[in-house]
Amino acid sequence: MNILEATRAVLDQRPDALFVAALGTATSALRTASNDGPHLYFGGAMGSAAPAALGVAERVAPRLVIAFVGDGELLMGARTLWSIAGVRPDNLLVVVMADGRYSMTGGQRIEAPPVFAEPAAAIPGLDGIRVSSPGALARAVDELPRPGVIEAVLDERVVPPASPFVDPYRVRSAFEAEVARTRLDATRP
Amino acid sequence: MDQDAAEIATRELPAAAAATGPLVSGWETDLADALVRSGCTTFALVPDKRLDPIVARLRTRGMLIRSLAQEEECVAYAAGHMMAGGLTTVLMQSSGLGNALNAIASLVLPYGLGMPIVISMRGTIGERNPAQVPMGRATVPILTALGIQAFTARDPAQVETIASGIVAMAQAGVTSAMLLDQELAGPARRESGR
Repeated sequence: MNILEATRAVLDQRPDALFVAALGTATSALRTASNDGPHLYFGGAMGSAAPAALGVAERVAPRLVIAFVGDGELLMGARTLWSIAGVRPDNLLVVVMADGRYSMTGGQRIEAPPVFAEPAAAIPGLDGIRVSSPGALARAVDELPRPGVIEAVLDERVVPPASPFVDPYRVRSAFEAEVARTRLDATRP
Repeated sequence: MDQDAAEIATRELPAAAAATGPLVSGWETDLADALVRSGCTTFALVPDKRLDPIVARLRTRGMLIRSLAQEEECVAYAAGHMMAGGLTTVLMQSSGLGNALNAIASLVLPYGLGMPIVISMRGTIGERNPAQVPMGRATVPILTALGIQAFTARDPAQVETIASGIVAMAQAGVTSAMLLDQELAGPARRESGR
């Protein structure tokens, strides 16, 4: 499974969700897979995508929020797993694209490649699972109790064509419009 | 202020509903009430003894309080909450500003978010912990370097004006900071902190 296959599997499974993508390859993959859909793409702030997704999730509940993060990204902000467990939003999933490398900065190996599924599952209030195929990933999106962490093991490297460098104002504007559409839908009979 | 915020701004829970924390009726109450009255409904923070009375008052007003693991995480949480339509204040001690800089500089500012930030100052006049001094001395220069205006409250009479002012700026899309000077706490409480 590569990052584009993994991203498409999640998008296809829950096209109704709001998506938050960490900087770098996660943003490139989501832009490519969604044809630049109205998602919250990060251009920087490594380690901050998961807590931002937590903030989004609390505000838009019950709409599902899915964060795409690399394993290097989540390693930098792993504390947020405990924060998510404390808040316990039942509309938040974190999908970790796990390749053991800092893909965006040249593919350097993470010194001790982290695992997230078992630690997440061990935290009271959080669940976790490891998957290695698009089919298993799609099933996990629907079946893993939330909040949850899905560790998607990537064994094929691809470079998504879309740039990871985004225009923050365009991203924010499109994302806010998508959030507002949710609220409008919620008020319709 | 939207309808939800207006409703919440006038709400006050019974004292029994308040969570733990010292309840006071001084400037901390004025500050919390000004933030609520201005439209803030959500607050992200790292626990700090000096902020406790403010947080206690916010709880009695029924606000959503998120106590998170680190200041950068608070800023990121607030940024996500705000991009989903909320108005979120971040509270921290000055020692935590360094932790928060990446999220402020690479998320809040480039995405044009107006975020009210309340900073409880350490490392200024009267500080007895040397470890607090360098960051206390650098707080305003760091904020200034990022283009963030900082407004220092030294007297309880200033608190309400500054608190409502930074929220007004946030609603205009401008991030600014309110600094709670150590003198504000008074000599007897100056030594306390996390």
